[in-house]
Amino acid sequence: MKRNSIFCSFCILVALCWGMASCDGFLKEKSRDALPEEEGYSNISELYLNAVASLYNYIGGNADSQGLQGTGRGIYDLNTFTTDEAIMPTRGGDWYDGGFWQGLFLHKWGVNNDAIQATWEYLYKVIMLSNNSLEHIETYALTHSDAELPGYRAEVRAFRAMYYYYLMDLFGRIPLVLHSNVASKDIVLSERKNVFDFVVRELQEASPLLPAQFSNRSGNYYGRLTRPVAYFLLAKLALNAEIYTDNNWTDGVRPDGKNIFFEVDGTTLNAWQTAETYCDKITAFGYRLEPDYTANFAVYNESSVENIFTIPMSKTLYANQMQYLFRSRHYNHAKALGLSGENGSSATIEALQTFGYDTDLQDPRFDFCYYAGIVYDLKGNVVKLDDGTVLVYEPWKVKLDISDEPYEKTAGARMKKYEIDDKAMKDGKLMENDIVLFRYADVLLMKSEAKVRDGRDGDEELNQVRTRVGAPERVATLENLLAERQLEFAWEGWRRQDLIRFRQFTRTYSSRPQLPDEENGYTTVFPIPEKIRQMNLGWEQHPGY
Amino acid sequence: MKRIRDLFCLSLLLVAVGLPAVAQTKLHVPLPDSITTVGYATGLRKNLSGLVERITENQMNKDQITNPLDAIRGRVPGLTILKGSNGPAALDAVRLRGTTSLTTGNDPLIIVDGVFGDLSMLTSIYPADIESFVILKDASETAQYGSRGASGVIEITTKKGVSGRTSVNYNGSFGIASSYKTVRMLNGNEFRTLAQERGISILDMGNNTDFQKEIEQTGLQHNHHIAFSGGTNTSNYRVSLALMNREGVIVNEKLQNFTSNMNMTQYVFDNFLKCDLGMFGSVQKERNLVNLHKVFYSAASYNPTFPNHKNPETGNWDGYAYASQLSHPLAWMDVKDKNATSHISTHARLTFNLAEAWKLTFFGSYTYNVVENAQYLPVAVWAQGQAYRGDKKMESLLGNLMLSYKKEWRKHFFDVLGLAEIQKDKYSGFYTTVTNFSNDKLGYDNLQGGAIRPWDGTNSYYEDPRLVSFMGRVNYTYDDRYILTVNARGDASSKFGSNHKWGFFPAVSVAWVVSKEKFMEKLSFIDNLKIRAGYGLAGNQNGIDSYTTLNLMRPNGIAPVGSTPVVTMDKLRNTNPDLKWEVKQTFNAGIEVALLGNRLLLTANYYNSKTKDMLYLYNVSVPPFTYNTLLANIGSMRNYGTELSIGITPLKTKDMELNINANLTFQQNKLLSLDGNYQGEHISATEYKSLAGLDGAGFHGGYNHIVYQIVGQPLGVFYLPHCTGLVSDGNGGYTYQIADLNGGGVSLEDGEDRYVAGQAVPKTILGSNISFRYKDFDISLQINGAFGHKVYNGTSLTYMNMNSFPDYNVMKKAPAQNIKDQTATDYWLEDGDYINFDYVTLGWNVPLKNTRYLQSLRLSLTVNNLATISGYSGLTPMINSSSVNATLGIDDKRNYPLYRIYTIGLSVNF
Repeated sequence: MKRNSIFCSFCILVALCWGMASCDGFLKEKSRDALPEEEGYSNISELYLNAVASLYNYIGGNADSQGLQGTGRGIYDLNTFTTDEAIMPTRGGDWYDGGFWQGLFLHKWGVNNDAIQATWEYLYKVIMLSNNSLEHIETYALTHSDAELPGYRAEVRAFRAMYYYYLMDLFGRIPLVLHSNVASKDIVLSERKNVFDFVVRELQEASPLLPAQFSNRSGNYYGRLTRPVAYFLLAKLALNAEIYTDNNWTDGVRPDGKNIFFEVDGTTLNAWQTAETYCDKITAFGYRLEPDYTANFAVYNESSVENIFTIPMSKTLYANQMQYLFRSRHYNHAKALGLSGENGSSATIEALQTFGYDTDLQDPRFDFCYYAGIVYDLKGNVVKLDDGTVLVYEPWKVKLDISDEPYEKTAGARMKKYEIDDKAMKDGKLMENDIVLFRYADVLLMKSEAKVRDGRDGDEELNQVRTRVGAPERVATLENLLAERQLEFAWEGWRRQDLIRFRQFTRTYSSRPQLPDEENGYTTVFPIPEKIRQMNLGWEQHPGY
Repeated sequence: MKRIRDLFCLSLLLVAVGLPAVAQTKLHVPLPDSITTVGYATGLRKNLSGLVERITENQMNKDQITNPLDAIRGRVPGLTILKGSNGPAALDAVRLRGTTSLTTGNDPLIIVDGVFGDLSMLTSIYPADIESFVILKDASETAQYGSRGASGVIEITTKKGVSGRTSVNYNGSFGIASSYKTVRMLNGNEFRTLAQERGISILDMGNNTDFQKEIEQTGLQHNHHIAFSGGTNTSNYRVSLALMNREGVIVNEKLQNFTSNMNMTQYVFDNFLKCDLGMFGSVQKERNLVNLHKVFYSAASYNPTFPNHKNPETGNWDGYAYASQLSHPLAWMDVKDKNATSHISTHARLTFNLAEAWKLTFFGSYTYNVVENAQYLPVAVWAQGQAYRGDKKMESLLGNLMLSYKKEWRKHFFDVLGLAEIQKDKYSGFYTTVTNFSNDKLGYDNLQGGAIRPWDGTNSYYEDPRLVSFMGRVNYTYDDRYILTVNARGDASSKFGSNHKWGFFPAVSVAWVVSKEKFMEKLSFIDNLKIRAGYGLAGNQNGIDSYTTLNLMRPNGIAPVGSTPVVTMDKLRNTNPDLKWEVKQTFNAGIEVALLGNRLLLTANYYNSKTKDMLYLYNVSVPPFTYNTLLANIGSMRNYGTELSIGITPLKTKDMELNINANLTFQQNKLLSLDGNYQGEHISATEYKSLAGLDGAGFHGGYNHIVYQIVGQPLGVFYLPHCTGLVSDGNGGYTYQIADLNGGGVSLEDGEDRYVAGQAVPKTILGSNISFRYKDFDISLQINGAFGHKVYNGTSLTYMNMNSFPDYNVMKKAPAQNIKDQTATDYWLEDGDYINFDYVTLGWNVPLKNTRYLQSLRLSLTVNNLATISGYSGLTPMINSSSVNATLGIDDKRNYPLYRIYTIGLSVNF
């Protein structure tokens, strides 16, 4: 009897094991807090949401190096603190940060720079997600024929092209990856011109299918890459074509824009004519200069008639942050506004000189863009320091390292630009002012520059921009145009690209000596992040690094 | 893998058919039972062929114990228990034979009375309820637990009732925790004088406040534990209740833990069936410091001329704008961070004594654990205030069925065991965050007081991992001299890819009891000499989440769609459909000797393990990947070491007894490789990967990485620029002179002028205990130590930098040295060697005469953390030197003040 019971229990044991193991379902995972990818694109509205709209979440950001603008140590900083426009001075215990900011200013950023790598990874992340979106659209199109599909496809292609534009601008020679699932051995570096041609072609092919709508305004097209946005990118591409088609940027020879040709609407045009044409196409949409320069940067600036492409901001809806005002203003200044500050970024000496700061000829835009001298809170009271003395920003005292000096904390003109949102949250980083990426004043200055470079007169467009703020008219020379771009676009993230185009990026300026061999232009592109290169054997580092 | 499963079932079937026949023919010799429980098996110690450490009550630490693991701290070679921090509720970092995995699955498996859990389960066990610890380190023994035992196993058996005896006992203690050392910073007057001397204008609020003292309190601690037990021939029970109340040395820090433990045993049908029922549970409430770094950084370096009270005019703490990384230290004390953890475990075991040699056991357990967290950051430390509430829930259901056969036949002894097991867990939870409080009055008790809920502060989650296992074990002993144990276990985890769910983990060990041999009979001074060796595989899957092999989409944000904002979804990480088991191969060998009537015990053990297919979040290239990390099985790591322990009883008389126990662990770790193939492509991790760095003003990003992971080196090495000394900056200050190690100018980049300057994990660990008894008095001293590692003194690097003065206070000796630099170099890398006098206990077993009810009475006095001998210049070298995380090896402004706990204890048995 006992023997039988033993045998029986064995049988139970074996049967149980068998049963458990056979039950594959028991070991099969079924997620409840996430959706299987194949279920996310089952109808046209889901397709739009998760393949198209979802990409726009990456335009802004809240973590370092994420987003096209608004956060630190990303695209904006690489385009701004590497130039004569702005500086992040070391202030005693503050802002040394292991030499990071000094490295940017001195162009000694190194090949292992975490921020440069993170920026690269951010841009490619969005590109890979765009590739994935395109594949979902194609899969859907196999079995559906909704009328919206070509538009969605065009929007994502244009979106991806925009990210390639940023990558090519920053890194020059980069891999062109067009599918989400690519073997790493198949990824090779593409020459800069190849990437440039790709971006232009994609934008040209996509733009007719993009909605001819204002992207900066609330409504159906808010924040989206609409046709004028694509035209703006095409104008930028054409204007910088000399740089972008130069596969060998350290040889001292640059192609001539007059010999770089584009097909626009069936006509062959040189780079300058192309830029001008796209500028005119944008004008045709009805964009114009805001009579009030500051209206473009106001709290709730969605009604601006000048802004073309913005990062939508909302305290509660979006996680996008605007950290630049926060990190620039003095602690007590921020406190007086009911917000916080980190007392950092300032205007350089060169920027002050360009603006004619403290002279009779001071540009009117200085007061729109900078805090200098004594500042006031929103009620008009003078801002004071903790010890009761008045806070005075000292623009001229700015230096790369002002530690241990009397103006350690107060040196430098600070960022103003955007209207203070007194209801802002998270230290002021969550505010309602949409971050301006592209605006119409740039279209006018691009057109002026294109005409001048093409040997024609660009005074009209230049002076439209100058007159709007009450600045005296100037002759549109290349020198004046570069200065004007500084005056008009201070803190808007264009300086590095402009300096490179005007051959000024590698020059010596106050507290920034030229690096050995820098004259050849090797610092006009950032190095391929060394850690990325190590993972992709066979990628050649850019010359000079 | 299906084949393995089939093989298992087939072999079980064969055993089932074959063995009963054997059983009928053999002699029925009653076997002694329950001497040692090793995993699922119970048996005699002499039949063990692997290393099994067993710590019973009288070998446990007797100081003020909060966590049960404190009871064995320093007692087991190869077991590292380091305090994560010094808060009252701090859970220790526990490592058995080092860090063997790069994922988080390095904590040993904790088993309480058969219930599986992790370190957090230990908070439900009151130390006085523990009968014994069994620690399994050898692969041959941990193999019984397959994947779960890869990082070692700590089994806890709680006390049971004893048949025929009823008893009640009470244990209580009362203690005081008091700080005795903080960082020596300038006081208010020195601060003021220094500023005057140097002509620096400061914000002088006129006070002389030592904020490090201001945030301290004298912590009162008391514990009460009461247990009842009793039993008859057919049943027994034991029930206990305990309350633990602890205040920390920092204001508002406290912990309260209420635990209960119940065990019942009932024999039925003439002992044919034995039923064990058990239940343990706890409710632990604690209030913690929300951010150690911010609190201690603020306390040490806040302007000492500020007052220790709120501004009477504004009713708020005065802020100091220039010290942007700090808040008023006392404002940090207003931060509320409360945790309430409720835990309950129930289990039942039915043992059928089928025949003399056969046993069938059903075991089932259910565990429920919920952690409620509530946090409020007042306006003074967080702009506009922020409240957070979250609940985390864990449920675990485990069942197993085990058949065992034990037989002694002439000189042969067999112990055979077959097991099937199933486990299903469920993790779920949610949290929400609100902000924009107009005042601090409501906090987290009324979330509506913070009107606004940002998009990213709210979420919930759900996970349900499952495991299925089969195990077979054969233990064979010949003539008590030759022992062989073979284990085979198959595990299947739901977390892996569909083709990789199953893992097969066999292990074998042999032992030779030399002392039982004939030729040893002459050597009568040798009581026991045993030599062992073993080899086995273990799997690991503990460190990874569920669903990582599936292509999934999660909400990624809100996009304006049409005129309405809509939540969109996207892939939020790289997916690896081929994820599989991480496998650790271990070889171990050991020897144990007992001499001179067991007065001298020596053991030596060697182990060498190699972890392959390491589950690790690799940094991968973007592109082709979308995200820069991928969880994959690539790379390998080696751990090897020797553990020595010695126990001497030089004196043993009726009135006096002296015992000296010491154990030394020599451990080494090497990261062998981090590259391999993934889906047919070669992928490789980066050459240098930073694990831990500095934080604070001027330390964000840049060259502030300190501890790295570098292939070919031990895990966690200091990779730093070399400082040749201080050099004048020309203005009376000094900077760190950095050596140009590779020529071509100084560059602080990885791969340039940096070198591996030492490791963060100790090479040698010492644990020792000396106890002495004279008549009814006894004294016990525990001494622990660690050697061969370094500590980065980031605290001094920061507080010695005169550039940060006067916004941030500096150390007393900073003005004299006048360093004006905060570049991280090896200047502040120091030896971490230390010897710590962990505690001393003086006890008195009060002699009882003619007492009818009182069985025993003991009084004791304990002092914890007597002293530390170390060359380290900072507060203490006893920082995180074992867990691979962002604090590894770095003393960075987050240390508690040093404190001692004085405790008096009372124990009464009726």
